[in-house]
Amino acid sequence: MENKNDLILEVDHLTVNYELEDETVEAVRDVSFQLGRGKTLGLVGETGAGKTTTALSILNLIPDPPGVIKGGTIKLDGDNVLDKTIKEMSRIRGKEVSMIFQDPMTSLNPVFTVGDQIAEAIMIHEKLDKKAAFEKAQEMLQIVGIPGERAAEYPHQFSGGMKQRVVIAIALACNPQLLIADEPTTALDVTIQAQVLDLMKELKKKYGMAMILITHDLGIIAETCDDVAVMYAGKIIERGSLEEVFNTARHPYTEGLFNSLPNIAERKERLKPIPGLMPDPTKLPKGCAFAPRCPYAKPSCIDVMPEERHFGGTHYCSCNAYDDESFHLEREDIVL
Amino acid sequence: MSDILLEVKNLKKYFKTPKGMLHAVDDVSFTIERGKTLGIVGESGCGKSTTGRCIMRLIEPTSGQVIFDGVDLASLSGRQMRKARKDIQIIFQDPFSSLDPRQTVLQAIAEPIIQNKLIKGTAAIEKRVLELMETVGLAERLINSYPHELDGGRRQRIGIARALSVQPKLIICDEPVSALDVSIQAQILNLLEDLQEKLGLTYIFITHDLSVVNHFSDDIAVMYLGKMVEKAPAEELFAHPTHPYTKALLSAIPVPDLRYKQDRILLKGEIASPVNPPDQCRFRKRCYMSCDQCKGKEPSLVEMTPNHFVACHLCQIG
Repeated sequence: MENKNDLILEVDHLTVNYELEDETVEAVRDVSFQLGRGKTLGLVGETGAGKTTTALSILNLIPDPPGVIKGGTIKLDGDNVLDKTIKEMSRIRGKEVSMIFQDPMTSLNPVFTVGDQIAEAIMIHEKLDKKAAFEKAQEMLQIVGIPGERAAEYPHQFSGGMKQRVVIAIALACNPQLLIADEPTTALDVTIQAQVLDLMKELKKKYGMAMILITHDLGIIAETCDDVAVMYAGKIIERGSLEEVFNTARHPYTEGLFNSLPNIAERKERLKPIPGLMPDPTKLPKGCAFAPRCPYAKPSCIDVMPEERHFGGTHYCSCNAYDDESFHLEREDIVL
Repeated sequence: MSDILLEVKNLKKYFKTPKGMLHAVDDVSFTIERGKTLGIVGESGCGKSTTGRCIMRLIEPTSGQVIFDGVDLASLSGRQMRKARKDIQIIFQDPFSSLDPRQTVLQAIAEPIIQNKLIKGTAAIEKRVLELMETVGLAERLINSYPHELDGGRRQRIGIARALSVQPKLIICDEPVSALDVSIQAQILNLLEDLQEKLGLTYIFITHDLSVVNHFSDDIAVMYLGKMVEKAPAEELFAHPTHPYTKALLSAIPVPDLRYKQDRILLKGEIASPVNPPDQCRFRKRCYMSCDQCKGKEPSLVEMTPNHFVACHLCQIG
């Protein structure tokens, strides 16, 4: 068991719904996970799995209405953020926790210079005057690999990769302990993505930040993360260290994800997609949400909520197939 | 009869901008054999989509020839071109914006059939639409649904059904799966593969995702700033990437397999401006191997080993 002081984030039984007029979307269902200081957790899943909602809850930024945090606690450095007042929260955001969003084109304000936008974050949290804050903003730009003189330029004068660097500079300006990056490179080209990921890894090491990286790209997870949590229909269905999940995947959905990917290393003749679609989040089955698409499902899976099965270390998955002790997935474990 | 379905010769597309001529596609040539797939890869702004659109003359090429099934498309009149487009169809990237939100599935798929006067009579058209829906794996009950009721994968299936409705010979797939989730992506890729086998289709597969292209293509062309910098059979390209840009591009793909470790080539800087490019290698400023030789004239595409073409001074010296 990890020492409590080593944990920057503890999420316990978090449940978030979006309550619409005539239906309720169960976006996050009883999610619990922990994150150690300086560690990187990869949150993987497809559109609608609840990754972004989980991340927004940590900042207490769920759009309300229609979003309602139904229950659970989110302890950031030991304090539950869900109990904080609005004022307290605004001191935490940007200072303790920062977030980077997917689209750098829309997360910057087009009518302010990038220097002003970085300085804004600094002035909110640190007792610096405008001039000093702007100077620090220039330093931050240099840290992310943009010449300091460009602080006086506007977002449209930068390319996509550069804008994402500016966003990173804003996020890191006050040395947060936790950085949440929501698909930070999805809008970028591969060679630029490689640059930005490299930069993030380097800065994470330099500042000893913890990071939650939200992505649908298992390749990015493989290169950046220490731990992995796989989400499906609002639940974490498998969690473990990078090696555990990638080499010895245990949940049928995780297996399905790996099989759907065209692999560069092995040119397979045919992909094995997961049949069907993600269930409607307003009408989730009583039991396992993946059961309708699962090749191993038994009739009972639809009705019985799966339990967590532990496989040593931090590795667990939620799947009832393991009731049968001889059960194992078709995908073979990878022995390094 | 030759096996070559499409031959593109010295295709150029320049756009006039206030700053000068933007060379979107600059002297690109290639051929595709019937029933094969050519992958065109590159990053945003490299001209891959413009190339696709110029072939169909959705954008008028500045110069060059597009010879499709023995006919030079560039010489056709508007009316003749409309007829020719029956043989060449395109599937777009974003199934959210490429469908008319006010058309039902039936109307959307029937539209090209009616436009081209392929079948007459409401009942016969509906029968054909149902056939097409079955071909692309859309359930019959969705026939009166609107696009907003459907997810991305299903919308992309409508796009494919529309393209198939006129029985084309060539389909240009412009990033057909990049807006989709991985599990759905694999479904669509398999569908496209099955259709090719069943209907003998020829594909041009435009994408930025090298792993998708590798899985799918017979030949791959890599583009950079309007130029084709390397072209080879897929396996050869992945086994022996030769152009420094191709190497960097391949090394930049994150691989979801912990056994697969490789040295990443990080490129400096960003893609240069395509406006009035100098007569030099366009990759030179970002190239980690460039030397004095590269300041000379723009390198041309040279066949290094059989069927493997590279445009790079250094590689050509050996």
